[in-house]
Amino acid sequence: MNATVHPLDDLAAYALGVLDGDELRALTVHLESCASCRAEVRSFAETAWAIAETQGRDAPPRMRAAIVERARQDAERRAPRRFAGLWRELLRPVPLVVPLALAAVLLVALVGYGSARRDADRYATVVAGAVGARVVSLAATGAVAGVRGSLVVPANGGAPYLILDLPAPASGKTWEAWVIRGGTPVRAGVTDARGVTALTLTANVAGGDTIAVTEEPAGGVDAPTGRAVLAGTS
Amino acid sequence: MARIAGGDPAALGELYDRYGRTVFGILYRLLGSAEPAEEVTQDAFHAVWRRAATYRVDRGSVRTWLLAIARNAAIDWRRTKGKRLEREAAIDEAAELIEETRVDDRVIASLRAERVRAAVAVLPDEQRVVLSLAFWSGLSQSEIAERTGTPLGTVKSRVRLGMSKLRERLRLEGER
Repeated sequence: MNATVHPLDDLAAYALGVLDGDELRALTVHLESCASCRAEVRSFAETAWAIAETQGRDAPPRMRAAIVERARQDAERRAPRRFAGLWRELLRPVPLVVPLALAAVLLVALVGYGSARRDADRYATVVAGAVGARVVSLAATGAVAGVRGSLVVPANGGAPYLILDLPAPASGKTWEAWVIRGGTPVRAGVTDARGVTALTLTANVAGGDTIAVTEEPAGGVDAPTGRAVLAGTS
Repeated sequence: MARIAGGDPAALGELYDRYGRTVFGILYRLLGSAEPAEEVTQDAFHAVWRRAATYRVDRGSVRTWLLAIARNAAIDWRRTKGKRLEREAAIDEAAELIEETRVDDRVIASLRAERVRAAVAVLPDEQRVVLSLAFWSGLSQSEIAERTGTPLGTVKSRVRLGMSKLRERLRLEGER
């Protein structure tokens, strides 16, 4: 969506959580680059909160303790494992080639960091904004550097979509998404967008399906011909 | 939120002290009884606990973020564990609320709630109906259009107009 075209009609619905389909995906991306629309959404969201407040109701006293206790147990569960794992990794003998390789990776990462940081942050924020949905990260295959992707399956039964962070496809090429079930790939949408974008999948997604993105001739093809740049299992 | 993101359970308790009553109330309204409302309230606050690091202040206040999480958790609950609930029943509940905004005689403690109730009550009927469905049924705009037999464009404009009027009226009331 062009940042200069403000979808004003959808902002109240977004704040209420009743926007769906392509409009929701388009607006989610648009908000990342539009401060004035974000301010409008914030304002409508506060109105929604005011409505919610009218329904305030005393919860059973045990609720607070249960919430805090669950958080405490979660914190305990995560903390020891994290440090134990860290110590194990630090104390493990490491071949010389590993630190050398890590240093090389770090150097490359730092060179690219400045230019990539903004889109990386934006991508992370768009993914984080997928509230109330199941989000599955797609793994970069290494075929193209710096790509990111996530499958988003809305809890409200809406069409699944991909949040992608991709470079522009090569001249005469396009990015094409696939849903692969039982070894058979089904076309699921194409995009030429560069940077962070949302792509609604045109094929159904079920648990266990593989989702992949390949670079294909412009317009897309019926069966993948290029190497996958992103892949993951639903 | 920084303390919650840093893993301080007491901070989550403080957040609950501030907003728990509203979250539980709206979930009670959405889910129809105390038992699922308790379960989903706990899930919503736990989601805040796990996702606190992703919260961005420029996207809205903590309470509206919490409200979005709670509402989505309720919709998710209804679509999975709560499938037995009839959608028509949800619509009936929404219609019931419309009456309550006029004649509800329960004591609403806060003056702010009174102001909101008054602001909702003076909305045109068609806008109040659509906003009520949006709030209490867990339906999206397109689902509301389908269920009520109203064109989607009409539903959209009623949501926008209703929310705009409500926001403006509350703003004016707040200035008095």
